[in-house]
Amino acid sequence: MRASLTILSLALGAALPLAAQQTSVVGVRPLAFGGLFPGLPRAILRTDPANSAQFDLKGHPGGSASFTFLLPAVMTGPAGATLPLVFGGNDGGFSASQSIASQVGFDPRTPYLATFVGNRASVFLGGTANPSVSQRAGAYTGTVTLTVVFF
Amino acid sequence: MFTATKVTILALALALVAARAATAQAQNNASINVTANVFRPITVVADRNLVFGNVFPGQGPQGMALASPSAGHFAITGEPSASVSMSWVVSPLSQGANTLPLSLSGTYNTVDLPAGSNLGAFASATAATLSGGATGQLFVYVVGTVTPAANQAPGNYTGTVQLTVIYQ
Repeated sequence: MRASLTILSLALGAALPLAAQQTSVVGVRPLAFGGLFPGLPRAILRTDPANSAQFDLKGHPGGSASFTFLLPAVMTGPAGATLPLVFGGNDGGFSASQSIASQVGFDPRTPYLATFVGNRASVFLGGTANPSVSQRAGAYTGTVTLTVVFF
Repeated sequence: MFTATKVTILALALALVAARAATAQAQNNASINVTANVFRPITVVADRNLVFGNVFPGQGPQGMALASPSAGHFAITGEPSASVSMSWVVSPLSQGANTLPLSLSGTYNTVDLPAGSNLGAFASATAATLSGGATGQLFVYVVGTVTPAANQAPGNYTGTVQLTVIYQ
């Protein structure tokens, strides 16, 4: 009986520390295109420290995580006007050190698998807004959602 | 009995490990906004034609002053203080196969006055800045001269001065 309890204790000891580690995703900075002139596209690089989107992640050191973006095709503005958005194959960036200057680019339009080094990392996002020549003036907004599965 | 208990507890332990493995995959999501502010579009209004009126063969260049009511006039509005580029397409002043030699000049200003910066050559684009204030404005005055030849065919000659303004 004593031996059996030891086995149970070891099993729980192996399971609890990992299960206790928490994971999280937090959106810390919006993707901001700022002022746009009708007819003039504007691209925001994922390395833009002021205007690129940033998500901060907390995961397991050495663990993996898959990223899946839900990207809007348009922003919505006054009277329901829409402004087209384009996300390219290199507009996503992963930084295991949370440094915007040290990213690995990826295609945000498809799921991406990354590996943590420490327990914190960041995901960055750029994109391009394409206002038409007759784009209605005013404020436009949209939403980007990042879903992260931690392994 | 003792062996049975060990097996049961071992199974329980394995079940816990399996449960832990099953819950090791955690999913989180977060959202951020995408934002932009679109400035107002540029409008260009040609609100007064360039009119030479009656001109006479063989009397040299004939035209008008910038302040003349015969001068052409454009009014431009857009985002206050925005940089713009003005470009031109000028068609020949013609009557059928006959053409009348034309030379254009002009000025632009953020207030509606004939005096202002020179437009320079109409063949190239001109950079300018719209006025500040509630509405960005720019006003363009276009004048010119025509030089009818001594044997210029009589008649009404018409042409077009097209101004295109874009943000830059």
